[in-house]
Amino acid sequence: MSRWRYLAQRIAMSVPVVFSVITFLFLVLRLGPLDPIAARLGQNAQGANVQRLREEIGLDDPLWEQFADYLVETVTFSGESWVVRNGTDVSDMLLEVAGPTIWLGVWAIVLPLFIGLPLGFYAGLHPNSASDIMANVTGIIWRSMPNFWLAVLALAFLRSTGNGSGPFGFDWYTFGPTTQSAVGTPNLDFATIGDVFGAPMLTGMDWSAFFVDVKLILPAAIILGSSSMAAELRLGRTAVLENVNSNYVETAKAKGLKGRTIVWKHVFRNALIPLVPIVTNEAFILIGGSVIMEQIFNINGLGRMYFRAIQTADVPLAGSIVFLFTVIIIFLNILQDILYTIIDPRVGYDQ
Amino acid sequence: MSNTESEQSMTDTAVRTDGGTETKQSLRQRVLSNPEPAAIWLAGLALLVAVELGRFVDWALTIGGGIKFILDGIVATPTWVGSNFEGTLGFVAGAVASDITSLLLLFIVAVFLRAYLPFHPDEKLGLDLSRSRHLWFERGFVTAVLAAVVSVLVFTPIGAALKNEVGFYVGILDSLADTQTLLSRETIPNHGYQTASGSWEGTFLGLSARSAWLVRFTMVWVYAAVVMSWLWRGYNVYREHYRRMDWTPRDDVIDRLRSHNWGRFGLVVVIGFIVLALFAPVIATYPIQENVYEPYSQDSEFKYFNEEAGEVQTALHGDANINSRSQGAGSQNVGINQYDDYGRYAPLGTTTSGEDLMTHIAYGAQTSLSIGLIALFLALGIAMLLSLASAYYGGIIDLMAIIGTDTIISIPIFVLVLMMSVVFQQGDVWIAEPMDGGLLLALIFAFAYMPGMWRSIRGPSLQVAEEEWVDAAKSYGQTPLAIMRKHMAPYVMSYLIIYGSLLVGGMIIVTSALSFLGYGVSEPTPEWGRLIASGRNAVSTQSWHVSTVSGAMIAIVVTGFNALGDGIRDAIDPQAEANAGGSGGGA
Repeated sequence: MSRWRYLAQRIAMSVPVVFSVITFLFLVLRLGPLDPIAARLGQNAQGANVQRLREEIGLDDPLWEQFADYLVETVTFSGESWVVRNGTDVSDMLLEVAGPTIWLGVWAIVLPLFIGLPLGFYAGLHPNSASDIMANVTGIIWRSMPNFWLAVLALAFLRSTGNGSGPFGFDWYTFGPTTQSAVGTPNLDFATIGDVFGAPMLTGMDWSAFFVDVKLILPAAIILGSSSMAAELRLGRTAVLENVNSNYVETAKAKGLKGRTIVWKHVFRNALIPLVPIVTNEAFILIGGSVIMEQIFNINGLGRMYFRAIQTADVPLAGSIVFLFTVIIIFLNILQDILYTIIDPRVGYDQ
Repeated sequence: MSNTESEQSMTDTAVRTDGGTETKQSLRQRVLSNPEPAAIWLAGLALLVAVELGRFVDWALTIGGGIKFILDGIVATPTWVGSNFEGTLGFVAGAVASDITSLLLLFIVAVFLRAYLPFHPDEKLGLDLSRSRHLWFERGFVTAVLAAVVSVLVFTPIGAALKNEVGFYVGILDSLADTQTLLSRETIPNHGYQTASGSWEGTFLGLSARSAWLVRFTMVWVYAAVVMSWLWRGYNVYREHYRRMDWTPRDDVIDRLRSHNWGRFGLVVVIGFIVLALFAPVIATYPIQENVYEPYSQDSEFKYFNEEAGEVQTALHGDANINSRSQGAGSQNVGINQYDDYGRYAPLGTTTSGEDLMTHIAYGAQTSLSIGLIALFLALGIAMLLSLASAYYGGIIDLMAIIGTDTIISIPIFVLVLMMSVVFQQGDVWIAEPMDGGLLLALIFAFAYMPGMWRSIRGPSLQVAEEEWVDAAKSYGQTPLAIMRKHMAPYVMSYLIIYGSLLVGGMIIVTSALSFLGYGVSEPTPEWGRLIASGRNAVSTQSWHVSTVSGAMIAIVVTGFNALGDGIRDAIDPQAEANAGGSGGGA
């Protein structure tokens, strides 16, 4: 089977899944016990108002018609918010809040990669040393700590450092760029996009704004990525341990290669293969975790909007966000399988 | 099917199609022929149970109550279905629908009971049926018998008489559960008051409230340790004296687990967590009813020594709680290992609303454990059935199962659980009532985690479905259900155990995360995540204990479950790959 056919097959197989996800959302949100009328008009609303709203939303239409409408609405993201911002297009709202979430996600994937993997490689190259055991044990405990608890503790610590009262005179507010608050939504207006020969290009960078945004997202990103960091640490360690003792390293040594060359050119590259599923699995954790992290760190992102939408029974908005998350996950799963076949040609297309 | 080989080897030996009895001596006979070690062990066990008899009966009653709740729900379905039909199609249709539903339910029971039928009705009647007809005939026969019994119970006074009878025995058990046990608040009271002379009134042996509580706390752990080691001894006695085989593969698994330090650590933590949950009424510093649930009822009155007035006065827990709150900087605080103004000892301090934190932690363990266990067993059961069925039948059922589970898997688990939890809690569904949303959460977890579990055992199930022994069983004409139960389930089970113990940790984290956000388990049922939420603004003040202790408990317990999962995995399958995941602090 060629790679393209495999890709086409994977995409075709995800169509029924997308359909059944929408059906499931329809069942839970529209037919479930949520009462959107009460959410918008209050518990005791009656009479003409209720009737008008029912007609507006289409609650009195035949069920299959409601389902068809819902299907189209969800797939095209063309619904309108009911409660959170009454009458606004869902797609506009999603675009507005997607930025901070992506910003958070990028840092939450990048940071652990650059902290966890090197630590893991180091531990693997020095197995059973004191630092190896340290790294292992911290990794395991770190993995078990609930993110929201870490966030609460971290935030309390950062807030307590105001006016240089932290340990060694550390003050988070003046550390790096000065910020007013330890929490908040990053502006993300550091990059100026200009027209260069008719195409939008990056023309200028406001570095101080960039660092403010990084600083705002840093604690949330580190904590959100913490469990993946532990996984990457463990992975890096086992991967190195497995490869260090393999035959081709022996061969490379016999050839007279330097230790560093062996590590970088051979061990490292092979250790990267099992990293692919870890990084994609991370996206899974990140999306769920972003709901809580954004709530605690006051970041106006997708997760926070989802929480507000579901809380206020804003069915179209909540459904669209879940659908968006789901599409991302399905897409990442396909991407992961494709990446596998590219990185490791031994993996066949058949399974 | 390649059954020529197996047919040959099986023609001359007797074929057992049911569970069957042992061909050699039964365990009972083996015990009777050498009664001493068993008698000694059983006597010890009886002693251990006797000192805590009330508690064991209480647990049994709790489990019985849970089963009754489920049965009541199932029994109510025919009426519910009937009333639904009645609403749209009229009375007769409603009655027919509810009868059909009842028959269906009875039929499901009959399928399971059929194997235990003592005789074959079709043979008695002299009918000559093919194998599959024979099966269906027997199932129908059992259904008919059940229907007859049920209608006799429902439509004649016999049913009411039986109900009375059962009620009578439950009453006896209830009074047994109320008897005093060795480890109880009554035996070792810790809530007294200190008189002006400095001596303690109303506490165990006149010790201080702190020491009295510590004595009780220590006794619980000593008792738990003795019971555990006695159970381990019992297994060894069985292995040494009564087991027919000198060695079984399970011995190796246990040995490997015993030499696995990390797994042993996990086992200790998990057992500690379970003991904390089971003995919560004893470990809690004050009765939860008085301290948390109904602090203003008349029963919640206690005596204390008022230093200003210089005399012994009474107060309600509710009033005292208001003056014992731990709310951080500048205001009151009752920290770890302190007494409040009312002479109440708080081993872990008080919560932000002045209730005892130790009481909350102990009962919070109970909440987490019940949610985890209910969800785990439900998910395990469904995943097991689904995987075996899809592996056995394959084809369209497998495909449907894949699409169905893919649907649930593609939605990020926390987003899914949050959505369902909010939808059902805001909808005021009756199922959200038990445990203040705990039962609902358990059901949601079972639903959300089942697909992942199914995926993890689908491979092994497919593998085992291809094995020759399954072919062989098919060729003898065993029923699919029997094949799955006897020949496939044991093999798949080990994978489920590993996955299950890793899953419980994840469930504990997600439960607390949801409660942190204000959904999940709501007031007044104690829950760790809600404690973290309530103390979050006081973390950097003197009242740091509220959030920190509860969060640390979650971290320790989850580490324990992960470690146990790793340990069991290495013990069952030493060659297993090391990337089975585990439950990260994902939520």
